[in-house]
Amino acid sequence: MKIHVTIAGRSYHMAEKLPPWMELPEGSSVDDALQHLAALMPAGAALDPHCLVAVSGAHLGTLQVHRPHTLCEGDELLVLAPVAGG
Amino acid sequence: MSQLTAEQWERYARQIGPGVLSRDGQERLSQATVFISRIGGMGGPAAMALAMAGVGSIIFAHGGRLISPDLNRQVLGSEDGLDQPRAPQFAARLQSINRFVTVEAIDREPDDEEATALARRSDVVLSSAPTFAERLRLNRAAVLAGVPLIDAAQWGMSGTLIAVQPGTTACLRCIYPRDPEFEEPFPVVGGISTAIGGLAALEAIKVLAHTGEPLFGRLWLIDAYRGQSSIVALTRDPQCPCCGGLGIGEETGGSA
Repeated sequence: MKIHVTIAGRSYHMAEKLPPWMELPEGSSVDDALQHLAALMPAGAALDPHCLVAVSGAHLGTLQVHRPHTLCEGDELLVLAPVAGG
Repeated sequence: MSQLTAEQWERYARQIGPGVLSRDGQERLSQATVFISRIGGMGGPAAMALAMAGVGSIIFAHGGRLISPDLNRQVLGSEDGLDQPRAPQFAARLQSINRFVTVEAIDREPDDEEATALARRSDVVLSSAPTFAERLRLNRAAVLAGVPLIDAAQWGMSGTLIAVQPGTTACLRCIYPRDPEFEEPFPVVGGISTAIGGLAALEAIKVLAHTGEPLFGRLWLIDAYRGQSSIVALTRDPQCPCCGGLGIGEETGGSA
């Protein structure tokens, strides 16, 4: 199945070369997708463990601590790095 | 009996009607107080929009002196004010926009106690602070005071907005159970600051004037770098150390 991936927030430019879609086996979990994503990150770059994780608009938690979730075809995985900034 | 003069009604005529504010909503807005910390890239345009819309009082906190790199986004600043304290000049600029608005300037970043006291004097807290420590402090203050919080944040050409109804929807601590690391200075282009600040003001106006559908319980991501936008329905943590229980958690260290 294919899911859409959005990396946003702080240092979003690091993910600029990542494909917007990810191919995963049916029944994959959000953890499977996040592991796959981590492997695609440029050398030396890693996602902040405090990133907010959401699937198709539903908040699951942070990269570090989140609820389990089984993905479906066409889901959007959003990984939002914390931003502050006044 | 209206509290507003004929001149004020004329001033706000373009924002009263179907799909915007009712006359009652304008009256409510004109009697409301908004506490904004800080009033730079996002807080400045937010304060300007609130002043133009005719909010009753703006209390803002922002310390330090204006420096040249601020002028890529801090719309209340000007070259004439470089090296001068921000608070008085920003207050004067705000007051020049609308004499019917009361402006109170605080020339420092409030600590926990002061932030909570200011939140208690307000109907909405608007956080546009540059660090997570300050964002979380304003979140605590709003939760403790039981006042809605509009949280604005930015990075590069993107930004986020969150609206918190304490005790009902997810607070900032529900979303970030541990303090994220923070880098300063961060890159930012003024256009996104103005956009996010303007939308933050609009959220405050909706809440105060009882119009539209406030963003409570949702995070709005605006990724202007890629021309994308996302909405996330936030989950409240019932064990949240800030807003768990009755909305007054351990982290706030006290009772309402």
